[in-house]
Amino acid sequence: MDIITANELLSGATVYLTVDGKWLEEVSKAQTFGPEDKAARDAAVEAANASGRYLSVEIEKAEIIDGRVVPTRLREKIRAEGPTSPRHTPQTLDTPHAKGEDSNVSL
Amino acid sequence: MYRYDEFDAAFVRQRTEQFADQVRRRISGELNEDQFRPLRLMNGLYLQLHAYMLRVAVPYGTLSSKQLRRLAEIARKYDRGYGHFTTRQNIQFNWPRLNDVPKILAELADVEMHAIQTSGNCIRNVTTDQFAGAAADEIIDPRPIAEIIRQWSSLHPEFTFLPRKFKIAITGAPQDRAAVKFHDIGLMAKTGPNGEIGWTVYVGGGLGRTPMVAKQIRDFVDHEHLLAYLEAILRVYNRYGRRDNKYKARIKILVHEAGIDTIRDQVEEEFAAMKDGILKLPQEELDRITAYFAAPAFKEVEQKTIDLPKLKITDPAFARFIERNTHPHFRDGYVSVTVSMKPIGGTPGDATDIQMEAIADLAEKYSFDELRVSHEQNLVLPHVALDDLRAVYEGLVDIDLAEGNTGLITDIISCPGLDYCALATARSIPIAKSISQKFSAPERQEQIGDLKIKISGCINACGHHHVGHIGILGLDRKGVENYQITVGGDASEDAAVGSILGAGIAGDDVPDAIEKLVDLYIEKRESADETFIAAFRRLGEAPFKEALYGTR
Repeated sequence: MDIITANELLSGATVYLTVDGKWLEEVSKAQTFGPEDKAARDAAVEAANASGRYLSVEIEKAEIIDGRVVPTRLREKIRAEGPTSPRHTPQTLDTPHAKGEDSNVSL
Repeated sequence: MYRYDEFDAAFVRQRTEQFADQVRRRISGELNEDQFRPLRLMNGLYLQLHAYMLRVAVPYGTLSSKQLRRLAEIARKYDRGYGHFTTRQNIQFNWPRLNDVPKILAELADVEMHAIQTSGNCIRNVTTDQFAGAAADEIIDPRPIAEIIRQWSSLHPEFTFLPRKFKIAITGAPQDRAAVKFHDIGLMAKTGPNGEIGWTVYVGGGLGRTPMVAKQIRDFVDHEHLLAYLEAILRVYNRYGRRDNKYKARIKILVHEAGIDTIRDQVEEEFAAMKDGILKLPQEELDRITAYFAAPAFKEVEQKTIDLPKLKITDPAFARFIERNTHPHFRDGYVSVTVSMKPIGGTPGDATDIQMEAIADLAEKYSFDELRVSHEQNLVLPHVALDDLRAVYEGLVDIDLAEGNTGLITDIISCPGLDYCALATARSIPIAKSISQKFSAPERQEQIGDLKIKISGCINACGHHHVGHIGILGLDRKGVENYQITVGGDASEDAAVGSILGAGIAGDDVPDAIEKLVDLYIEKRESADETFIAAFRRLGEAPFKEALYGTR
């Protein structure tokens, strides 16, 4: 299955499109798209790019493990969790806008 | 050090204000990302995996205490309390927020720093020997010429959109510590037939996916005509360099495809047409710039001999520090001190704000306010009196940066790799740390002697793996990190690209693989004086390959 990720404009933070159309830092809240959701997925990517608030919008592979969304690629795991050595937490969003409160993306 | 003149100060301030307005327009939506990206890159602002990354230029690796303190303040105020010194003698901040970047640039401008020409297809920040202006073996201090090249290349209207980025390195000593033969242009000081000093010019070197040793294009160019000769090379490159394929756009490909003789003829034709024009460098201008780099007011010190054998018994850590981290100075009674940014198990090149401030204090007190950044990701206090060595050492002990390992197996170059970099295919930092920990014992490091390990997390080779005596390249093989080992690379005047030994191996296996190569070297070397790279040249790659992979 797929998830959609990007970097948010102001903070540069890694964010994921969630089921309620917000962009948040937690990959566990990412909306998943199956093969049948391709049209919705592509529309979401297009909307994110058109918004101008999200950079490097990408479709990434993910799996559900113990009920949680987990990215498949190591690169994406590092993006989601932060640098591994030394460990740093990921960048956080920093404004109401960036927190996704007015960043709904119409699907 | 060079001080900004009115033009420099006004130009940097104007650029900072322009960028502040560009950021404002990006956030308001007046500029989209396609419009903004080239503008932010022209100001050193990249987007990496986790956040923006700001690359700040340290021209020819020279810093003052005040500047290093400002970098520390920026790390603390706008980042996460650390910065990363790079193989381009720059510093990178990994976590700035877009709104803060104009403020950072304004605070940098206050101390005559900026992030211009740290990205884009322009002439990048000029690099040089970290012991420039101090080394005993120096023919000439390369910094005045480096500064003149900086002034010539900054916003050069003809060379702002080259086919690809363009890097110039310069060394004033016959022992090349600036890897000049792996740059687009490398300059090496040379004494001419009448005793005058000029430059041997190399062109077409580089690393990345197509590593090449630069070829000599001219044996000697005098100071007066150097800018004209450089301009002639850039014009030929700008005209004939490939723009159809970014992977074939560097000048090394042009030189390789056209041949050095053809390129030389084209450059000489351009040079002949312009050599006595406006780029002719008047002696008085060279003298004016050189005056900024005048040697400091050294103390009159008595010759001093340090009893190293005795010190090795009474204080072995300090003895190692003296033996490995000091470099001969042209002035009797002084040395240059390398501050190893490679503590055992640490991240190569990282410095905290507290460490930067402490090093700035040491430079102010013991090194005439001068600092250097080396392309091997260390800092240097260029002018330290032997009498002050103990105090410098103890100051470094206080901040956990007194490791006496310069040039040893734990003095590893490493790019940020997949922990930070959007281009990386594998992690570099954990590999560097695991090797450092495996060889942490000082006695073991001393037994091995000079050995340069260089690690890159992708084929772009920011970690210079091609020129490591042992090089490690991290790749992605079907979703798993995989590390290719090379042996025999050399960034010095005996420039060589390393040979790949065989199939890649897992990250966890890398330290043991390095140990096999090291053990083979120790077993086969003729004496402890034969270095790893010398032994490799004598033995060839076959025994190293066998040590790693067996006889299959």
